[in-house]
Amino acid sequence: MRYICTCCGYVYDPEKGDSMNKIPEGVEFDDLPESWVCPLCYAECDKFDLLD
Amino acid sequence: MKASVASLYQSVEFHQEIPPLLIGERCNPNGSKAFKEALLAEDWDACLKVALDQEARGAQVLDLCVAYAGRDEVADMLQLTKLCAGSCKAPLMFDSTSPDTLELVLPLYPGRAIINSINLEDGGANLDRICRLAKKYGAAVVALTINVEGMALTCDKKLAVAKDIYDLAVNKHGLRPQDILFDLLTFTVGSGDETMRDAAIETLNAIKLVKQELPGVGFTLGISNISFGLRPAARKVLNSIFLHEAVEAGLNTAIVDAAKVLPYATISEEDRKICFDLLFNRHPEALMAFIDYFEQAVEQDDSESEESFSSEELLRQKILKGDKEGLDDLLTTLRGRWQPLDIINNLLVPAMREVGELFGRGDLLLPFVLQSAEAMKQSVVLLEPYMEKLADDGRTSVLLATVAGDVHDIGKNLVDIILSNNGYKVHNIGIKVSAEEIIAKAKELQVDVIGLSGLLVKSALLMKDNLSQFQAVGLTQPVLLGGAALTTKFVAVDCAPNYQQPVAYCADAFAGLKAIRDFETGKLLSTQWEESSVAKNRPGPQQEVLDRSFSPPVVPFVGRKLVTDIDAEKLFSYLNEAALFRGRWGYRRGKMSKEGYAELTINTVQPLFQRLKDQSLNEGWLQPKVTYGYFDCVSQGDSLLINSDSGEKVFSFPRQTNAPGLCIADYLRNAEEGGDKVGFFVVTLGHQLAEKTKQLYESDSYHDYLMLHGLGVELTDALAEYWHEKMRVEMGIQQVRGDMCAYVAQGYQGSRYGFGYPSCPDLGAHGSLFEMLQPEEIGVTLTESFEMVPEMSTSAIIVHHPQAKYFAV
Ligand code: B12
Repeated sequence: MRYICTCCGYVYDPEKGDSMNKIPEGVEFDDLPESWVCPLCYAECDKFDLLD
Repeated sequence: MKASVASLYQSVEFHQEIPPLLIGERCNPNGSKAFKEALLAEDWDACLKVALDQEARGAQVLDLCVAYAGRDEVADMLQLTKLCAGSCKAPLMFDSTSPDTLELVLPLYPGRAIINSINLEDGGANLDRICRLAKKYGAAVVALTINVEGMALTCDKKLAVAKDIYDLAVNKHGLRPQDILFDLLTFTVGSGDETMRDAAIETLNAIKLVKQELPGVGFTLGISNISFGLRPAARKVLNSIFLHEAVEAGLNTAIVDAAKVLPYATISEEDRKICFDLLFNRHPEALMAFIDYFEQAVEQDDSESEESFSSEELLRQKILKGDKEGLDDLLTTLRGRWQPLDIINNLLVPAMREVGELFGRGDLLLPFVLQSAEAMKQSVVLLEPYMEKLADDGRTSVLLATVAGDVHDIGKNLVDIILSNNGYKVHNIGIKVSAEEIIAKAKELQVDVIGLSGLLVKSALLMKDNLSQFQAVGLTQPVLLGGAALTTKFVAVDCAPNYQQPVAYCADAFAGLKAIRDFETGKLLSTQWEESSVAKNRPGPQQEVLDRSFSPPVVPFVGRKLVTDIDAEKLFSYLNEAALFRGRWGYRRGKMSKEGYAELTINTVQPLFQRLKDQSLNEGWLQPKVTYGYFDCVSQGDSLLINSDSGEKVFSFPRQTNAPGLCIADYLRNAEEGGDKVGFFVVTLGHQLAEKTKQLYESDSYHDYLMLHGLGVELTDALAEYWHEKMRVEMGIQQVRGDMCAYVAQGYQGSRYGFGYPSCPDLGAHGSLFEMLQPEEIGVTLTESFEMVPEMSTSAIIVHHPQAKYFAV
């Protein structure tokens, strides 16, 4: 499921992963490591909102 | 090709990401009394107002019907079409079965309209004429399943008629399947007519079946027909449930009064069950049960029957709902039974506490909290004349200030709103307040607690200094600290040791409220911080090798320029709506279902957005201005040396300590490589918006205050996005207008870094930047903390290197 950063609008899509944080494809938002932050504005996970 | 219709201003797809597309039904003398009266009086502006009101409430297409006994349909239709075409953003749906009328209005409409409607009542003569017109003018058509035998009642009949119409419209006249919206008709389940018990089922099944059998066609439905004859409050619930079911079945557009659709998620399980029983004819007594149930349920939460509640309970509900209507009368009644002060302490404050708890659990969104606070405030204002001066002795008092060098008002004001409307005495002494002034006021007013606020890192550092000064003069109040640049760690490690009383970090206004309550019960402690095991990532591009073969862009000029003639409306197409709605405005989806959130978006958020957008454009609150420039530069180590009219300037940037060790200076060429070109800008929305938000705050319009501020924030970013695009085009690294969704994720060549952000943290660079760009000429000045005034301003350095992206240091 995709999640959106409420601070900057960045969308975390598990199908794409997040290369800026070295996250490979296929990792669900809930399984992101605790150290993960928004790759664009560095907001933490609790600032994210479910998109679909 | 996707099916869509269009007005002069915009095109609208039939298949909305969040269905259904809402078609407003009120521009119809049979649908709205106001419209009928306006039409009969030929008051065209009033007719237009009905149209615009619907738009404001969420209608995406407007049905226009003027057929009325004694009036000239053609003349009225022409008149209103011209008016609506120029003024309504929503595309029109011409509601007429007369080919003659349609023949005259279609060519007049500067967009792609929908014709409502065709059918086979006369065997097909009109259908032929209308389909030809639809083909000629590229219109879409609504097709009603009616034939010579009358309206199709059963699923099978509906399918059969739909197939006949499809055959004529598509195979004979060449319309595309997606240009047809089938209205498979629905009839009331509320009449008690035995033969109509399955009316909803027949329609829902028919939608599924036609969708299967005639792929590609769309659907529409006059939703409210399902509940004719029932009581208004009950109809609203039943209509909303039926709409929800129809959308599940495949309905993609609906003719409804957008304002009267309840979000599915807000309808209780019990209400839903009663509606389902009736819609799906689950037992013979379903209709009676429905009527009985809503007879009672209505009394529980409909304004029509408020009488049956105690006035005390009513007041609680008004606060919870943020409903200001009728507060005056209600409070007058209550004053007959209670002392004004007791109304506040025993009724209003507990209700606000409940609001806070709902917010804390994620069951109430911030904008609604502010509406509740408005209702609270209004109640207190209404009670004040009957009170001897509010007894301050008992109440805990708080001093609030934004620190020196900082004009950021809203964080502190939100805290003021929440605290004062929870019964505390707040002394809000404003912005840019020096430590000396805070100390003097704290002593003079003998406050119990001090709260400091600020926007920038510099302000956070000042708070730390202020605390040492408070300690030196022997203040004894605990201090609450809040603001964007603070962290738990900074407050615990850097600030708290400077002061002997508790120093608490408050992430938001509610944390402030909790801190005050802790203070009252003697439980307030300084913020603690422990080294957590997880260090946060420092994301950024992971490439190892930086391409050095790039050449500098060709810039249109060297030096700086002013731009003052920017069309404010343009900014809206660069607006980051997700960040605005979910972030700034606080309309987060949270625990809501997808549909629940979609409905909230359609019924509340979009109309609010439209209203504020129209207001800010019409009233000239937005005055976007830009100063920008391109400069010769050479990169040297971690610095950039810039050659400008005001002398050589040096900008220094930090370097990542871990791989890949990025630093902004690396993206530009050094002297050996022949130097480079770099861009800068300062953009502002002007002073007007700050004035306007201030007025809203002062008139206790808390909700609109936060909303307009949030819109301003995102429009400032939109202006930055717009100008960055403009500069890329000027530099020849982008050809045309790009896609805003991609922009959010930096889908363009190069990057823009704002001073004060992690890869370029030194806000002091604003000193040099201002000498180079002279933003004073567009009304932007700096405070001693290098904060820009007006607040809705932003600055950046623009780098063209293809590998340049955001990264954290
Ligand atoms: C929106 C925003 C903007 C907007 C509008 C600014 C404004 N507020 O008018 C725009 C786009 C214009 C902007 C510009 C800039 N911004 Co800015 N911005 C933000 C952002 C995202 C939110 C600030 C905000 O308005 N919040 C809404 C209000 C209501 O919240 P608040 O003030 O924080 O208050 C709440 C709580 O903090 C708390 N609280 C606050 N005070 C108090 C006091 C007490 C007693 C209590 C109990 C609680 C409390 O309760 C409040 C309500 O719940 C923050 C980051 C963030 N996530 O917070 C960055 C941030 C403030 N910006 C930052 C920067 C760098 C800038 C710019 C310098 C960038 C640039 N180069 O242009 C400029 C400077 C603008 C200027 N005028 O000088 C940095 C500041 C860091 C620094 N180096 O100082 C931040 C922290 C982002 C970051 N993580 O780096 N920004």
